Amino acid sequence: MTNPSKGRTGMIEFRGVNKWFGPLNVLKDITLSVEPSEVVVVCGPSGSGKSTLIRCINGLETIRDGDLVVDGQRLGDPATNMMRLRTEIGFVFQSFNLYPHKTALENVTLAPIHVRKIPRAEAEKAGRELLAKVGLADKVNAYPAQLSGGQQQRVAIARCLGMRPKIMLFDEPTSALDPEMISEVLDVMVAVAEEGMTMMVVTHEMGFARKVAQRMVFMDAGAIVESGTPEEFFSHPKTDRSRAFLSKILRH
Amino acid sequence: MLENFSFRTIVEYLPLFGQGLVTTVWLSVLAFAGALAVGIVLAAMNQQRGRLFRIPAKAYIDAVRATPLLAQLYFLYFGLPRLGIILPELVVGILALSLNSGAYVAEIIRAGILSIPHGQVEAGVASGMTYVQRMRLVILPQAFKVTIPPLLGQAIVLVKDSALLSLIAVAELTRAGQLLASDRFMPAEGFITIAAFYLLLYYGLKGLAALSGRWLGLAGAQT
Repeated sequence: MTNPSKGRTGMIEFRGVNKWFGPLNVLKDITLSVEPSEVVVVCGPSGSGKSTLIRCINGLETIRDGDLVVDGQRLGDPATNMMRLRTEIGFVFQSFNLYPHKTALENVTLAPIHVRKIPRAEAEKAGRELLAKVGLADKVNAYPAQLSGGQQQRVAIARCLGMRPKIMLFDEPTSALDPEMISEVLDVMVAVAEEGMTMMVVTHEMGFARKVAQRMVFMDAGAIVESGTPEEFFSHPKTDRSRAFLSKILRH
Repeated sequence: MLENFSFRTIVEYLPLFGQGLVTTVWLSVLAFAGALAVGIVLAAMNQQRGRLFRIPAKAYIDAVRATPLLAQLYFLYFGLPRLGIILPELVVGILALSLNSGAYVAEIIRAGILSIPHGQVEAGVASGMTYVQRMRLVILPQAFKVTIPPLLGQAIVLVKDSALLSLIAVAELTRAGQLLASDRFMPAEGFITIAAFYLLLYYGLKGLAALSGRWLGLAGAQT
């Protein structure tokens, strides 16, 4: 999916994107390109616009001006079928948002069956394999309320993978978890990254960032303040704001 | 007082009460089915972003909730013939109950839908579901569970409201009591008997509510 106007192959391309909530400029002139199979970790203080940034990519939020091109399709363009585009983008929520009236397997197969129109038997076979992959082969028939937070988030990741997306977005996937459950979710995310998935991850898990991110993006007050490799970012933060942020989250 | 209470007359009138009870039950069932249909349509209209649907739905719900059922019943009973629509009393009665109860059902459904966390909507949106798919697969099955108890409450209200149909000469349960009261000048016998029958219906519906609760509990996701 190339973008002929610029001849670039960005899977996700922000060009001069702005967004307001009322008078509040929550995204300020964002320009960012994410290449296929690239893993980008977005960090920054709360309220800096990180979540809003990734929520724009699948249209959970709309942008006011600038261009946002995802998988070669421009958002807001009448020719772009948002429903179709969303099937290519997995989104993992901070609060999991599993369907409480469906079992783990049904959570994973619901959209493939009804949106992708994959035959039920095939979707269930794939669903079982995905649940096994995230370490939940024995929880196929469990309801979300019977699962721990870490298990629920792993089901949520499997639910996204069931759609065979090209892009996975993670909105603070471990922030709602008890500390002992964080690593089981991160391990799954690392495995997904290693398979070549294009990922944008909003997280403060710096160990994860060091391990799999090709790029760190630091946001503050709606703007991208700094971006670079994790090595650069952690060892030589360029701005006062990123230094202050890092000193706070790495102190412990 | 009780020495004058004539159980014999009640027994004599039992077939009439029986017929009235049966009529009350099936007209209530029909009226409640109608109320569900009206309520679902109104709730769906109320969910739309466009004012074209939302405003008429809201106006209708307000109009029904703001006026007495008796006034609505007479409005249809005397109003429809003026428009050239002649319907049997029973049909007018069922129609009035459906249209009235439908407004309340719409509000119950709306509350049920609103009780589902927004994250559920977003999860559906993010996986590419259309509005209809989200409603059918994600929101309504969850809202349904929440709405069962208040819907049964509304059904109980409807059964009691159906007593008003006696005023347009529908031969339901209250009408049977009125006949006994006026034929034999025995209002106590007539109205205490129908009260007992309404109590019976009430416990029937309550039992149904308990059963459905148990069934939903078994079939549901909660641990």
